Order: sequence, then C-alpha cells, then structure tokens
Amino acid sequence: MRGRPNLYTSYEAETQLFPTTTKKVLLGVGLLVLVLMPFDLWVVDQIPVVRFLGDSIWLRLVNKMLIFIIGALGLHLLSGLAGQLSLGHSFFGGVGACTAVLVGGKASTNLWGWGMPMWVWLPAAGVVAALIGVAIAPTAVRVRGLYLGIVTLGLVFIGLHLSRVFPEIAGPGDLGRKWPRLELRFWKEEDPFLDFSRDGHWFWFDVSKHQKTYFFLLLLVILMAWWAVNLGRTRTGRALAAIRDRDIAAEIMGVPEFRYKTTAFALSSFYAGISGALFASFVGQVPPEQWSLRASVTFLAALLIGGMGRVSGVFMGSFFVVMSHRFVEEIVDWAKHQAEGEGLFSSVFDFFISRGSGDGGLISVAQTALGYPLPASALDEIIYGALIVIFLLFEPLGMYGIWIKVRNYWKGWPFSY
Amino acid sequence: MTTTVSAVTTGVAAYQVPTLAAQMYGHAVETPDHVVMREKDFGVWQESTAAEIWELVLDAAHGLLALGVEVGDRVSIQSENRPEWMILDFATIAVRGVTVGFYPTNPTAEVEYLLTDCGSVVHLAEDQEQVDRVLDIDRGTVSDVRKILYCEPRGVRNYDDDRLLDWDDFLALGREHRATHCGAVEESMTEAKWDDGMTLVYTSGTTGPPKGAMLTHRNVAYSMTMFRNPAMRDDYRIGGDDEILCYLPLCHVAERIFSTFHVAELGLTVNFAESIDTVPANLREVQPTLFFAVPRIWERIHAGVMIRANDASPFKRLWLRFGMRLAAAVGREKVANGGLHTMKSRLLTAIGRPLVFRAMLERIGMRRCVWAASGAAPIAPEILEFFTGIGVPVYELYGMTENTAIATINVPGRMRLGTVGEPFGGIDLPDSHFRIDADTGEIQVKHPGVFAGYWNKPEQTAETFTEDGWLRTGDVGEWVDGTHVRIVDRIKNIIITSGGKNISPSEIENSLKASPYVKEAMVIGDRRKFLSALVGIELDTVGNWALRQNIPYTTYRDLGEKPEVLELIQGIVNETNEKFASVETIKKFRMIPKELDHEDGELTATQKLKRSAMEDAFGDLIEEMYA
Repeated sequence: MRGRPNLYTSYEAETQLFPTTTKKVLLGVGLLVLVLMPFDLWVVDQIPVVRFLGDSIWLRLVNKMLIFIIGALGLHLLSGLAGQLSLGHSFFGGVGACTAVLVGGKASTNLWGWGMPMWVWLPAAGVVAALIGVAIAPTAVRVRGLYLGIVTLGLVFIGLHLSRVFPEIAGPGDLGRKWPRLELRFWKEEDPFLDFSRDGHWFWFDVSKHQKTYFFLLLLVILMAWWAVNLGRTRTGRALAAIRDRDIAAEIMGVPEFRYKTTAFALSSFYAGISGALFASFVGQVPPEQWSLRASVTFLAALLIGGMGRVSGVFMGSFFVVMSHRFVEEIVDWAKHQAEGEGLFSSVFDFFISRGSGDGGLISVAQTALGYPLPASALDEIIYGALIVIFLLFEPLGMYGIWIKVRNYWKGWPFSY
Repeated sequence: MTTTVSAVTTGVAAYQVPTLAAQMYGHAVETPDHVVMREKDFGVWQESTAAEIWELVLDAAHGLLALGVEVGDRVSIQSENRPEWMILDFATIAVRGVTVGFYPTNPTAEVEYLLTDCGSVVHLAEDQEQVDRVLDIDRGTVSDVRKILYCEPRGVRNYDDDRLLDWDDFLALGREHRATHCGAVEESMTEAKWDDGMTLVYTSGTTGPPKGAMLTHRNVAYSMTMFRNPAMRDDYRIGGDDEILCYLPLCHVAERIFSTFHVAELGLTVNFAESIDTVPANLREVQPTLFFAVPRIWERIHAGVMIRANDASPFKRLWLRFGMRLAAAVGREKVANGGLHTMKSRLLTAIGRPLVFRAMLERIGMRRCVWAASGAAPIAPEILEFFTGIGVPVYELYGMTENTAIATINVPGRMRLGTVGEPFGGIDLPDSHFRIDADTGEIQVKHPGVFAGYWNKPEQTAETFTEDGWLRTGDVGEWVDGTHVRIVDRIKNIIITSGGKNISPSEIENSLKASPYVKEAMVIGDRRKFLSALVGIELDTVGNWALRQNIPYTTYRDLGEKPEVLELIQGIVNETNEKFASVETIKKFRMIPKELDHEDGELTATQKLKRSAMEDAFGDLIEEMYA
C-alpha cells in the first residue's frame, strides 16, 4: 500500500520481490552497471571493484563465476531450500558436460558426437542431469544428514569410473576432448549466427569474445536466478522449506516428502547440468577429474560462506570462492612490490614476504616454493579453509547474515528491536 | 456529470433524517469503490468497499426484519471489534432498532443483567466463549432473546439450541427476505425520526449496576458536527482519505464515535485491529491519520519507546538520549505556545525529524497522524509533552456517554496542559452550553447532544438533570484563566480527611501512574488521619527493570514484594509527594498483591477502579496501614 509499506492487502503484495520504488530503482541501476561493466566507460571506472572487473583479464574470471553461480544456485535449491546435504553436486555437472559433448560434439573414430547446435545440447545437458537426479532421488530420500552426504559422495566416484569406462564420451586418457563452442546455429551448418567464442562486431561496437560470453551468461544467470528466487515463494518452495525445517513435521502437515525431495533433486541437477555443460564448453577441453569431490566441496563452500538458503548469499559466496584466489595473488603481488620498494612500510611487508631461500617470511613469492614459507596458492587455500571454519562458528548465515545484521541495525533505527 | 447528480439525489439526501445507515447508503452510492473497512485475516488486510458493506448491511437489515425486529427493539452485540459489529449496528439503525453493545469481557452475570435490563430480542455473540455466556443463563430470565447470532462457528456448530443462528445463515435469511420484501428496509429508513433512540450505551458502573444511556439520532448528528469542525484540527479537513484504527471496545461511546460514527459520516477507512495486544503492530502497519486513545494506551506506547530506548545498542542509546532531549525541548516550546510551532521548535524539529523523530514515529505507527486525542481518563502532562515533542499532535478532550462526548476539547494554538481544554463553543460553534456550578463546582452541560435518558430508569434520569434541565456530569471542574477547564475529580471520589480537608485522589493517583512502573494506584484517606495508597505495578516494565537489576522473581506478587521494587515504588511516591501540599502526601503505601481484573470485579470493563470493591478486597491491607 502506497505510503504504508507494511499494510498488505493481498498475498501478492506481501511476497513482492521489489516492493518499493527505491528497490526497483536500485535493481535497475544494478542491472545497468552490470551491462555496462565490460565496456571502458568513464562512469563505470568510478565504481570501486566494478572498475577493474570489466577488464579483459578479469572478465574471463567473471564469466567463470557466472557459470559457477548457476551450479551454486542448483545446490542452493537442494541444500539451502530443501535442506538436503549433497556432496555429489559435481557429478551432475559432469553428467551435463558429457551430455553436451555427446549431443553437440563432433564425432571421430574413437569419439561419439552428434554435432547438434547449442539450443539442443544446452537444454539436453540440464534435462539429462535432471533425469538422473530423479533416478537417484529414491535412494537419497531414504537417508538424511551425513548419510545422504555419503550416498551422494558415492556418485562422484561412480561418475569418475564411468568416465573411464566410456572414453568415447568423456575423452580418452584423462585428457578430455574438444567441447562444442558457445555459439548459436540454426542446425548443423558451419556458420553460427551468434558466436560467443570469437571476437566480433555487434552493431557499431567491437566486442571481444569474453564480452560476448559475458552478456550471454549474464542473461542466463539473471533468468535462472530469477526462477530460483521465485521458486522460493511458490507452493513448491514453501514445501521444500518445510521439509528443510523438519521433514517429519512437514509430512504430518501433508507435504508429500518423497515427491518434493525428488523435485528438489531434479531441479538441483538441472542447474548443475547446465552449469557443467557451460563450463566445459567455456574452457574448451576439460578432463573428467574436473568433476571430482573438490568441485562439490567448492559449491558447498560457496553456499556456507555466502549464506545458506538465500539466492543473494549464493551470489556473494560464488563471488568470494571464484575470485578469492585472484585477489590473494594480487595482494601478495602488491605486497611484494611494497617490500621491494623504498616505501614507509617496506620493512613491514618484507617481514611477511619471503623472496628466496634464507629470507625469513610467511609467504613465498618464488615460483617453485613448496612447504614453508608458503606459496601464495597455499596461503589462499588456508584463508579459504579458515573462512569456512570462522563462518560456521560465528556467522552461520554467512555473508548474507552479515548483511542482514547491518540491514536490521538500520531497519530498527532508532531502536534495536 | 449526470451520474453524480442522480447519485446525490438517490444518496443520503433521499432521507429526511440522515441516520448513520442512510449515510452509509450515501457512500455506497457516491463512492462505491472506496474502501471503508479493512480487517486482518490470515495475515492480510482484507478490504471491503462502501458498496460491498452496504450490501451486507442491507442483507443484515432484512435478516433483522425476517426475525421480527420492530421499531425500537433492542439488538445487542457482545463481540470484539470486527466488521460484523458495525454491519449489524448499521442494519439495526436501518430498521429503526436500538443497538446495545456489551463489553467482550462482560462475565455471565453481567451479560444476564444487561440482557434482561435492555430486553434484547436479537443477540450477537462473537464466538463460542460469548455464546456460552448466554446459554449459561436460564432461558426463562432472558425470554426476550429470540435469536443468538454467532460469527465464529468453531465449537458452536454442534450446540443444540434453537436460538442459535450462524452469521452467514442470518445473511442468507436476509437475502431471502430481501427478495420477497424489496424496499422494506429503505422504507423503514425514510421513517426515521430525529428523536428515535439509536443506541443504548451502558455506563461502566463504578458505583452501581451499569445504566443504559439512550442516544438519539439528534445526539449523534450533533456530536459529529462538533467533531467534523476543522478548527479543532488546525484547519485539516477529515474525509475519505483518512485512516482509523479501531481497537478500543466498540460498545464504549468513545470508540463508537471515533469509528462507527466517523466512517458513516465521512466514509473514511476503518482498520480493525486484530486484538488489543496487537495494537502496536497494527498501528505500525496502518499508520492511521486520526488516532484516539485512552491514557493507558498512550502510556503504553510511551513506555514501549522508553524501554526500547534503554535496550538499544550503546551508540543508538546515545543517539536516542540526544533525540529525547530534542523532543523535550520541542515539546516544552510547543506546549508553551498552545500546541503550535514556534521558530525555535520548528528549527529543532528540522534537526530532530530526519535524525530520530521520523523513524520513531514510523515505529510507533504515528508517522501519518494528523490529529490524535486522549480522553476517557486524565493523562499525565509529561506524556502529552513527549508526544507533542516528537510530532504527534495529541490533544486532551473531555466528554461522557450522557453528552455524546461533547463537553470540552483542546485545540491547536490554545492547548493547555493539565486541562481538558475549552468548551466546544470556544471554537466558534454557536450552540454549546457549558457551565460550572458555582456551589458544588460540578460541570453541567445542555446541548442537543445530551442523551434522552437512562433506559427504564426514570428516577436516575431525573437525578442526572438539574431543575432547569442541565445535565449533571458528576465531575468537579474549575476554570483555568476563564477559558480552559480543569477536571478535579468525580464528586463521589473527593476525600475529606478527618482534619476536614478536601482532597482529590485522582490527581495524586495520576501523578503516581505517570511512572511507567505503576499501573494502578488508589489513594485512601476518607475520614482518616492521613493519606495512604494501594499501588499495583506494571508487570512488563517492572519485570524488565528487575531483569536489568538482576533480581529474580516468580510471580506478580513475588515481584511486587521484593524490597528493591518497594524501594523503587517508594521513590516514585516520594517524587509525587514533592508535588503536593503536606496534607496531600502519601504517608504509607501497600502493594496490590494481584493484577486487577474485570472478571474479579475490581475493575470495570473500561479498566476503571471500583473503589468499593477494592476496599472490600484489600480491606486488611488498608487497615494494616492505619493500625
């Protein structure tokens, strides 16, 4: 109700995603910034972080993050919304990738592939993954908690084994094969009408392949995130949340547990399949090892750090998980420069940075360093692990929880409650 | 244009006497899509437009005709505030019946008394609880009651009593009747007379059994012309865009005027609060533009602000302390200027509003409030000053059932703390008549709003009027500067100490109750050597205080008897004593060992103390103090 934001006269008004004009405007501005980000514009350069994310080196990473977000959204539906622990999320990514290459890849003597265009192989990747998710759901519905974790963990190993049994799909000898490119064709003809994997010319602008891919992925992420958010407000979403909060109570209330858990698996796998297919296609050639336990854990980490059960948490967590490596590298690099320089704090930085054998310091910048002092990559792993521990201990709601605390501080103004 | 013209001629203008029902019809014709009622159901405010409500009123009115309700028959309602209350009220008025409201808290014995006293023919009982109260009464004693309507079928469905009738079935009955007797209600509406009884409002009965005051259409119309006057709202004209929260019992004349009469006269929107406990939350949602509250509610809102201010995080606490100081400065300045801004207060508000006041107003639901009032009991000046300071234009007024709440009111620019304002004539209305009897100091009024008399009690009616036809209010008042009126006390409450001094206990009690920790206070001292008091603590605030002081407690009584709490109360008593002359100081006090309650007979339905009942119940405590 206008001027009375808490007076809801219908459920539609109460569950509106962007109830106020301010929120609508902010959403619009945010989208505009995202669209303009990859371009070298003066306005964009004034915004911190976004300033350099648009640069071509970073844009590749941003694209990886967008793909990662799609996968993380899938796990959000399963773990965040429906509360089912899954360590097998990467398996479904692998299923998606393999489906993509089977449907869209080129055939050769020892490789299978039907050479279909993207509008066939991308949805197919999601659907096949979803179907396999449905097939596995009955087993998963019977167990919960850690046991479910173990069951899904098993999937990862089954997947890796199968990839070796069928080198015709996944590529021979742990090397992978060429994935179909991100391009839109009507059918199997050679020239695509929209090619996201080559530099080109759109309207009056020169656009690099990363910029093109960025727009394609951005559109996809917005659509899929919107869908995931909306799901949370539907009957299905409420049913999943009820199962998460207490599955037995939910069933007593008349929520069919089996059906909704299956739905959750199917939806989650669909997202994972799409994400896997996009990733493999984006990278070009991936070994089956890509779909190992480590990838599953990374998805979980993104959810934990970002905040379980919230789509905005998925965004924040994914940003952190994908970008943190790069940020740590940059910071170490910067520290190294500082240590080498004559600046005021050079000795302070020198204390932390080790530049060769014999030079005391915590972090090694020598390329070959192993063990102590730590190489930058190991430091990054430690920060990563420490953050998960810290979030679980102190802020179980993740970065989203921090945001909520900040928001409530101002929402309650001038009181505390 | 043609539609508007025809609408006007077929609207309220079609009726000679614009009864409330006729006015509702007028809104249904002129602004059929305007939302007039909102009720929160399943977490969402369900809206009803003027046309929808009028359809329901017509159905209900035909239902009453079908049940054989005739001119002057009483229809009684015992229910929490809900649309059905108003719909049945309007329907009764439409068929020229008389509506009688009971308090939802009235226990069985009182319901029996009220039903027999008014001789109700149709009774609306909200839910199983209220239905049970009627069914518990021997059928013979309430033989007049033909049908008992109920709104909430839960638990009542399986009852075997031929008098019971579900609200929906009642409306269906009405629709059937409407099909066969089209126009019967409209015909009855045209026959309404100015001096027809419209409603019986039972007084709370602090001294004896409740008496039913009969109000006529003329009383209501007069009262509303007074309340519509924009002069009392700094020229703000109330109308269809205004929002009201309906939460005080509708059977009381104050809420009845404020909600029912206002919606009928002005077609504004009434929002029904879910219950009295959810008022703070509902206020925050509705953000009413007009708000009427009894001092108890103002005190609760004020205490809520204070407690939350104390519980805030350190930075916010500092910030709030600054804000409160600003509010106090603005309040003082405005109060000194009769409630209007001065240059200084405007400046301070300009600082305070974006920093603290606006957010605070939003949180307490007063952000959009353009006019608020306090009445029905005296309010502590500090509380008025606080609300004035943060920007709620709240004015104290004084009236009673017997004069349709028209006696005195504070108006912007001439507001005076500690008084109930000027007689309504003071704001340029011609026919107000108000006087304070020179001998007894009693306030007396005589105007078209004065009631027709007590139902079936001619003797008591006669006692209420002076020989020359003025209404005796029973309140002692005094002039302040010849324009404003200060209420001293009820005549019956005045204490004469054994030293022969006249003392008004209410003033002392109110000063005690101004503390957020004191909920009830009763000053004793009639024909005694000195004054003493019974004090009841406010469980919420004192409990919160005890928690902060690390004082563990179990029950209300336990908390009240903690030495630390006694010390706290002693401090409040001492503060009060400083304000009064030495004969008026409280020498001793005792804690009331239980929370007072309507059901137990210590309070009236309007939460007023029944002194005689209190003296009976806590006689031993009183004697202990004088032993």
